[in-house]
Amino acid sequence: MAERVTLTIDGRPVEAEAGELLIAVAQRSGNYIPRFCWHPRLDPVGMCRMCLVEIEGPRGRALTTSCTTRVAEGMVVHTASDVVEKAQEGVLEFLLINHPLDCPVCDKGGECPLQDQTMACGPGESRYVEEKRHFAKPIPISDLVLLDRERCILCARCTRFADEVAGDPLIEFVSRGNDTQVLTFPGEPFASYFSGNTVQVCPVGALTAIPYRFRARPWDLEAVESTCPHCSVGCRIAVQASANEVVRFLGVDNAPTNQGWLCDKGRFGFEYLRSPERLIAPLVRGKDGELHAATWGEALDRAATGLRRVIDGSGADAVAGLGGARSTNEEAYAFGKFLRATVGTNHLDARLDDALGARFLTASPHRAAIDDLDGAGAILLWGPDLKEELPVLYLRVRGAVRRGAGLVVVHPRGNGLDPVAAHSLRYRPGEGAAMLRRLSEGEGDAASVRAALERGPLVAIVGRTGLAEDPGLAEAVAAFAEGFAGAKVLPVTRRGNLYGGLDMGVAPDLLPGRVPAADPAAREALEARWGGLSGGEGEDAAGIITGLGEGRIRALVLLGCDPAADFPDPARAVAALEGAELVVAVDLFLTESARRADVVFPALGFAEVEGTVTNLEGRVQKVNRLVPGPGQARPAHEILEDLATRLGHRIGAESAEALAAEVAEVAPAYAGVAWDTLDRGAGREGRLLPVPVPYRLPLEAPQEESGDLVLHLARVLYDRGTMLQQGGSPAGLAGEPVLGLHPADAARLGAAEGSRVRLTGSAGSAELTAALDPSLAPGTVYLAANLGAAVGPGLRVDVEVLP
Amino acid sequence: MTAWPPELEGRAQALAGRYPERRSAVGPLLYLAMKHDGGLTAAGVRRVAELTGLTPAQVQGVASFYTMYQEAPGRYLISVCTSISCHLLGGEAVLAAVEEETGVAGGETDGERLFTVEHVECLGACGGAPALQVNYETVEGVTPEAAQRLCRRLREQRPAVIRSDALQEEFGGRPAFDWGPGEAAGAVAPVPAFEPYGTAEAGP
Amino acid sequence: MTAGILFARMEAHRADSHTLERYLATGGYDALRRALAEMTPDQVTAEVKASNLRGRGGAGFPCGVKWGFLAAATPRYLVVNADESEPGTFKDRQLLERDPHQLVEGAAIAAYALGVHQAFVYVRGEYARPARRLQRAVEEAYAAGFLGRGIAGSGFDLDLTVHLGAGAYICGEETALLNSLEGRRGEPRIRPPFPAVAGLYGRPTIVNNVETISNLPWIITHGGTAYDAIGPEGSRGTRLFSLSGHVRRPGNYEVVMGLTWRDLIFGEHLGGGMRAGRGLKAWIPGGASAPWLVPEHLDEPVTIDDAARLGTMLGSGAVIVMDETTDVVAAALSIVRFFAHESCGQCTPCREGTTWMQRVLERILRGAGRPADLDLLLDISDNISPGLRWPPAQTTICPLGPSATAPIVSIMRHFRPEVEARVTRGGAGG
Ligand SMILES: Cc1cc2nc3c(=O)[nH]c(=O)nc-3n(C[C@H](O)[C@H](O)[C@H](O)COP(=O)(O)O)c2cc1C
Ligand code: SF4
Ligand code: FES
Repeated sequence: MAERVTLTIDGRPVEAEAGELLIAVAQRSGNYIPRFCWHPRLDPVGMCRMCLVEIEGPRGRALTTSCTTRVAEGMVVHTASDVVEKAQEGVLEFLLINHPLDCPVCDKGGECPLQDQTMACGPGESRYVEEKRHFAKPIPISDLVLLDRERCILCARCTRFADEVAGDPLIEFVSRGNDTQVLTFPGEPFASYFSGNTVQVCPVGALTAIPYRFRARPWDLEAVESTCPHCSVGCRIAVQASANEVVRFLGVDNAPTNQGWLCDKGRFGFEYLRSPERLIAPLVRGKDGELHAATWGEALDRAATGLRRVIDGSGADAVAGLGGARSTNEEAYAFGKFLRATVGTNHLDARLDDALGARFLTASPHRAAIDDLDGAGAILLWGPDLKEELPVLYLRVRGAVRRGAGLVVVHPRGNGLDPVAAHSLRYRPGEGAAMLRRLSEGEGDAASVRAALERGPLVAIVGRTGLAEDPGLAEAVAAFAEGFAGAKVLPVTRRGNLYGGLDMGVAPDLLPGRVPAADPAAREALEARWGGLSGGEGEDAAGIITGLGEGRIRALVLLGCDPAADFPDPARAVAALEGAELVVAVDLFLTESARRADVVFPALGFAEVEGTVTNLEGRVQKVNRLVPGPGQARPAHEILEDLATRLGHRIGAESAEALAAEVAEVAPAYAGVAWDTLDRGAGREGRLLPVPVPYRLPLEAPQEESGDLVLHLARVLYDRGTMLQQGGSPAGLAGEPVLGLHPADAARLGAAEGSRVRLTGSAGSAELTAALDPSLAPGTVYLAANLGAAVGPGLRVDVEVLP
Repeated sequence: MTAWPPELEGRAQALAGRYPERRSAVGPLLYLAMKHDGGLTAAGVRRVAELTGLTPAQVQGVASFYTMYQEAPGRYLISVCTSISCHLLGGEAVLAAVEEETGVAGGETDGERLFTVEHVECLGACGGAPALQVNYETVEGVTPEAAQRLCRRLREQRPAVIRSDALQEEFGGRPAFDWGPGEAAGAVAPVPAFEPYGTAEAGP
Repeated sequence: MTAGILFARMEAHRADSHTLERYLATGGYDALRRALAEMTPDQVTAEVKASNLRGRGGAGFPCGVKWGFLAAATPRYLVVNADESEPGTFKDRQLLERDPHQLVEGAAIAAYALGVHQAFVYVRGEYARPARRLQRAVEEAYAAGFLGRGIAGSGFDLDLTVHLGAGAYICGEETALLNSLEGRRGEPRIRPPFPAVAGLYGRPTIVNNVETISNLPWIITHGGTAYDAIGPEGSRGTRLFSLSGHVRRPGNYEVVMGLTWRDLIFGEHLGGGMRAGRGLKAWIPGGASAPWLVPEHLDEPVTIDDAARLGTMLGSGAVIVMDETTDVVAAALSIVRFFAHESCGQCTPCREGTTWMQRVLERILRGAGRPADLDLLLDISDNISPGLRWPPAQTTICPLGPSATAPIVSIMRHFRPEVEARVTRGGAGG
């Protein structure tokens, strides 16, 4: 624990921890010192010189920057003396002599610290009669960010962010002195997944987001705090709207999750909300085989009758439900209750055969929280490429390494974190068990890796490195990690609110609240509360798709879920949907799956509904409503309630808040989670849930079959997912699929960079361009999932060079 | 990426290996790149970035901080000092004479890339003011007239090697201090003639 | 009245003072041998402390005291500052060209005392010829076993690398120098931490000037107390002055401090008085960063402390002399422009203020000055160096910005009527 000290700021005693920065201590004690370059999440540089204060020393008072001064016992500080005020006014005048006076057309106008400071204490009139500095007008430094060097005040926030936090030092200061400017290298844009953060940290309008330019003025923005829906990190955001349209996401500095940062997919991936393709009325398949707009009554009747017919004809077991991972917890809860209590089926899943065991994800023992990384001595990442799948968690790991944690990365291919890893190990998918054995035995070259892991406390981030990998491997890796004293494990998977969906019991082996479905006491209590509860084993997503294919399952209800695009083997999913007797879809868009449904209900989406979500560490956070949503779209839980009513049952979903109250009552982990505590005070950080019935990890790694060439099928940040493709600005960022080949394999096959090749996998083949990738484990080929080429998720593949 | 010729690559690796951290070699490597390409090119920056594990933007940020990494200097870089001691003794007049004789304004390069003329800050030749340098080879005590003769000589004879001692003898005046015996080494490019960076013609 | 510590060898041996052969023949490397064979590192440091040698790079910080701050962690480094770029200064260049082995030996002695096994000499990029001479000496020293593994038959290893800068005055500032040597932009660092604690690559590092280090062989040979016996208290030893400007005999002079400015500027064997018999108008006593002195100060003693009393400094030892024909506004512009050109650009007041002052001075020289410009110049200066006092206060990271105010304050203090006349009359030389 750091030592407590007492200092004096403007005559008042203030307590702080020794070594804290004076500027932060002063602010906490109610004394805001103006600043431009200092940012609490970046290393101080003391460049702008705005935060000058006087500190008493043996030789009298000395001007010092408070952003670079660490407090010490007995320090005496003056923040408002004549000398300080004169110096600060001087700095402001210096900053303004070259700053253009284009505030009325600047995106930052109205929320600009430079403007605010000038109003507060700036000189009334300029003494500068010389010519201002000129640069060519705004230049794009990436697809999403524009730089106006004339407005830049050279605070180095963007460059520090890019270097220190993102690890993408692609924007730098160029030249020196009065010619200093921020620039990229010609032909090398600031193509960072995190570029938008620079816009947010820029204290003036030098960096602006192309998607936001000229869209709104700060004073007509309405805003709520919410939680980013794009992945399971659950970054805290401010959602801002103008004229009932969401126009901007800003990162909120929530210490346990994102510390203010967002990835560009999160920051800019909201334009889908205002897409003209949004569903605005229910659709019903007509006699002509086409979908037609219908009234809510018609559509609900049609769906209810269809479900009733299947239940009556083939039993409730013939109905299944997929979805919940893109919904709020309340919607997912309503979905689970609808399926298990109203319909009476146990075939339900929030996953799409691309995640991990439901109990492992929600109830693994010794769970790590994200902020456990900050104090970690060692970090093991054996899971997805975090930069691609969980970008802000990637930033957190980078930060932990900067603080001194030793990182070990185990992956089939070059990984975003390799540059900062102390050890980076490669293995072929399918040979994970052997790799794990080598690490456990810790002999030979594995000895130093083991030694690194022993420099704890260890936090292990485990997950599937790719979709072709057996999900059981991650559990064995977790068991291995738990063998290190004090180790904690964070099981990770990507999709939005998947953890919330599972927590709500949308999985055959889970009941709401992280409780095993087989727990008799829990079943009894829930059945009494719900007035019905399906029994039996129940199928997961893969089983449901198989069941549909085999005709055992005849009807499918989809809640914000698109197996035809997102299932690892999309072709099988399409066939399953097409063979079903009834498909009911609740969605925002006519997705590949909804297009094959019989009834489609338009739902409200993000920023249009209120509720909670649960992130990958099990933290419940609030999402809030800001805009009304299009047409006749309704909240999913209301749609489910209306359907249930028509089937003669009530879910009790009068409102999302009522559902939340019920969740708090019936789901043990959610006991006491109350909505109204989440948006204020300490509750703003969200609430980290306990694990009531920990899951026992298996010790054995699964044995997988292998082959000459095996597939590493992994997700990338910018893919063809609906939210991205419907969302203007980031849509163009998705690349074309290529086949990554290790140079040795390429040589063996006779392929070269750019060769056309045919990849044949477990479920189909695709023609692709080859790209040599020496970072692959030899004998492994790489394909990005959901970029338009699918060959099935099987490990064994063939590659044929086309003439 | 564009690797350098083996001999250059060998020097580059040796330089980078000489420091506790490779990044330290950025400066020397930039000189090597300039020598190779006749100036600092985008390809040179990229190669230096690869050799030091930096991004090209970082290398550009470093290179542009300093005045001596020039993108497209002429064959002869004429740097005239106008800092205080030279200013007091007519540095500006020498600069004007050089501009007139070469037809190149300060900070610029002629069309055939023969001359780059620049005014520079103190060259550490204040006792021999006014001073100038040709490809970083110093001449002290120059008059405007001698500076013009020097430029003419360069244009007419296009010497391959520039040596301080020879220039001083012929075009210089009173030096800042007694230089001692002369030496054979000299500059073969607008890059300082310092052997580890591969720019000097011959050792003493 | 040259006292022969640093220049003795080159003055006696014009033809070959820079060669190893001559160096050895004149007792060179004996001090290093003795230190390695007969003294502990602490004993070497004790001699340096006893000598009261103060740094010759500008700040005049006692060398032995600085060494005492070196943190215990290893590896640690020694960096010799040969960036000499302060306008008017050319003394280190002479040491590098004419007696490079003296520096190499000094660096080896320092390294031994400090427990350093890797040393660097950072030479400004424009010093191609001095760097060549030094490099040659380093190679000779390696070949003769005075550098490398087990030097001079001892168990002590030392590598020394000559590193060339690339045109940036600010890299003479020690933390900017370290950034530059690390392959970064030459921007000064925030202190603390000081280099002695976290310097090159974040390791403990001592940075010393060429002249400071070149004194060490003599100090080890003759003992610290012998050095301390030379010159007045607080300014011990000899010191190199670079005389330039309108004097008859510009050049580097090694003198014992305590003489007067009149001795230095007018002394027959020193400055030799004013060129063409003109009158003295002012001089800059310690490089472009130093506030100016005027004839009324001629009989003041040349010591570090007396200079401070007069509100200026001996700085880098550059004495720039201006005669009565000097246009002080143009001279001030030359210096302000220098600092504007050399500002690294980090600090707002330095980056913006120096250029602003340059523009205003240029405008005045163009004949477009306004009466308010005088106070404007002073107020800009005050916003860079609050109170315009000595030693300067600063709103900046390093002292470069405040240095740019020295010529402004000097011409306003000593020549205000001339500047006012320029503004009201207009035009250059008008
Ligand atoms: C702007 C600026 C420029 C400097 N330039 C030099 C220089 O060229 N050479 C030098 O030795 N010291 C220079 N110094 C001083 C160094 O920072 C440092 O104090 C010195 O190298 C320490 O050596 P010493 O203790 O031997 O004097 C400069 C300082 C500043 C603030
Ligand atoms: S005072 Fe000037 S040179 Fe020094 S750090 Fe600040 S901007 Fe750079
Ligand atoms: S906020 Fe402290 S110097 Fe910029």
